[in-house]
Amino acid sequence: MQQRSDDLLVAYLDGELEMAQRREVETWLDTDPAVRQRMAALAESAHLLRLALDEALHEPVPDRLIAAARGETAPPQAGAQVLPFHRRLGEQIVKPRSWRVGLPVAASLLGVLVGGGVAYLGVDKLALNGAAGKQAVLETTAANNLWLDNAAGYFKLVVSAGDNLPIDVPATGDPREALQKISQSLPQKIQLPKLEPWGLSFRGARLVVEEGRPAAALVYTSDKKEIGPLALIIGSSKQPDISPTFDRRQDVNLLYWRHQGRAYALVGQADIGYLWGIANDVAWQLDAV
Amino acid sequence: MSSRQGLARSPLRLVSGKDPVSARFGDQLIAVLPRLRRFARGLSGSITDADDLVQAACERALARHHQFQEGTRFDSWMFRIVQTIWIDQVRSRDVRKEDGDIAEDRLGSDEPVRRVEARLALDEVRRALDRLPPDQRAALLLVTVEGLSYKEAAEVVQVPVGTIMSRLARARIALQLQLEGDRGGRRSKEDAAAQ
Repeated sequence: MQQRSDDLLVAYLDGELEMAQRREVETWLDTDPAVRQRMAALAESAHLLRLALDEALHEPVPDRLIAAARGETAPPQAGAQVLPFHRRLGEQIVKPRSWRVGLPVAASLLGVLVGGGVAYLGVDKLALNGAAGKQAVLETTAANNLWLDNAAGYFKLVVSAGDNLPIDVPATGDPREALQKISQSLPQKIQLPKLEPWGLSFRGARLVVEEGRPAAALVYTSDKKEIGPLALIIGSSKQPDISPTFDRRQDVNLLYWRHQGRAYALVGQADIGYLWGIANDVAWQLDAV
Repeated sequence: MSSRQGLARSPLRLVSGKDPVSARFGDQLIAVLPRLRRFARGLSGSITDADDLVQAACERALARHHQFQEGTRFDSWMFRIVQTIWIDQVRSRDVRKEDGDIAEDRLGSDEPVRRVEARLALDEVRRALDRLPPDQRAALLLVTVEGLSYKEAAEVVQVPVGTIMSRLARARIALQLQLEGDRGGRRSKEDAAAQ
């Protein structure tokens, strides 16, 4: 009997019960304080569990895992002896004790991955489609140059402005109001990613232009010097999706990507390792990947 | 002047001759890496072992990417690979950790006292998780942490939905009791120290 009641309480918390069973549990909750207490304790332990493991989402992903996902590590041979992974790969065990350890590694990996510095989505089209493709790529590249330069320029304004941030809608009080106001000028509503775990506080939003369309620049500041202020630009796009692409202009780092009609750019002076980690978080929160 | 560097579609990829399907697959994998690390960390109880587990899962997924069915959840498919590899490890060798390993991994000596206390409290949760039987731990992580439905979790671990339901209930009750026990123990020590 106890097992069944536990099953039902847990399934109720997980939203997995049919209507009749939900009513049954709600009747218990209405009539029995002990059940209410048990339910509250179960909910709290679930919350603690999520909290205990969430830090994995906010850390930079180690370079070896990105390399593995790209197929740049040797897969195990069929029938090979199963050894502890670090021995099989001939690696030292690296315990990512903190950002200070993880970031330079992530940054150096990205440097290796990106290589010769001409990569862009259009490159393969250039090779395949001849003159017409070349023209399209050049046009796309020119448009990108313009808005990325603008984004870098805007970010430099943010840095030089100090406390008088160049924003249209300050995030005083409820930040959702600032989002609502800025969304009125945009073709699509935007959501505010929560970046507090990175030490970033949302300060307000400004209307900017991204890929020739209105976009919102969400401005965050941080007490952490290594992250500093950061702008997340979110706009709409008619261009095809692209994966996160790193660019550097006017001494400003940019990480930008497109997903399902949205264009995103993280702009700041933070190391690429930080930008990569924050971009992952943003993409996860906004379902933007 | 700018230096443009494509993270996803780099010259390395073009030169290596990978087809666009593989490229997309790799992109999907990278996107899900933070969640795979969280899941693996919950299963293995160790940061380093978890990353080894995720790396092995990536390699296996790439080798078998043709088995992934378009239109189904990519994250669930990857969770299944991670879980399968981990279960193989559990069966082939004793991977259970000594209590306190995670705390050693995570604690920095220069942290403020309040943050250390918060971390210790979360370490209690991790230790409690680590003490659960493997099947309960997997069910708990998939549903409570990763947000899968019972049906999706059942598909990942390949058991009936009813089994997931009872494993979850046992895991949640055990977790709660262990946390209450840890807190009780800590309070007793603090009371003893205060006297």
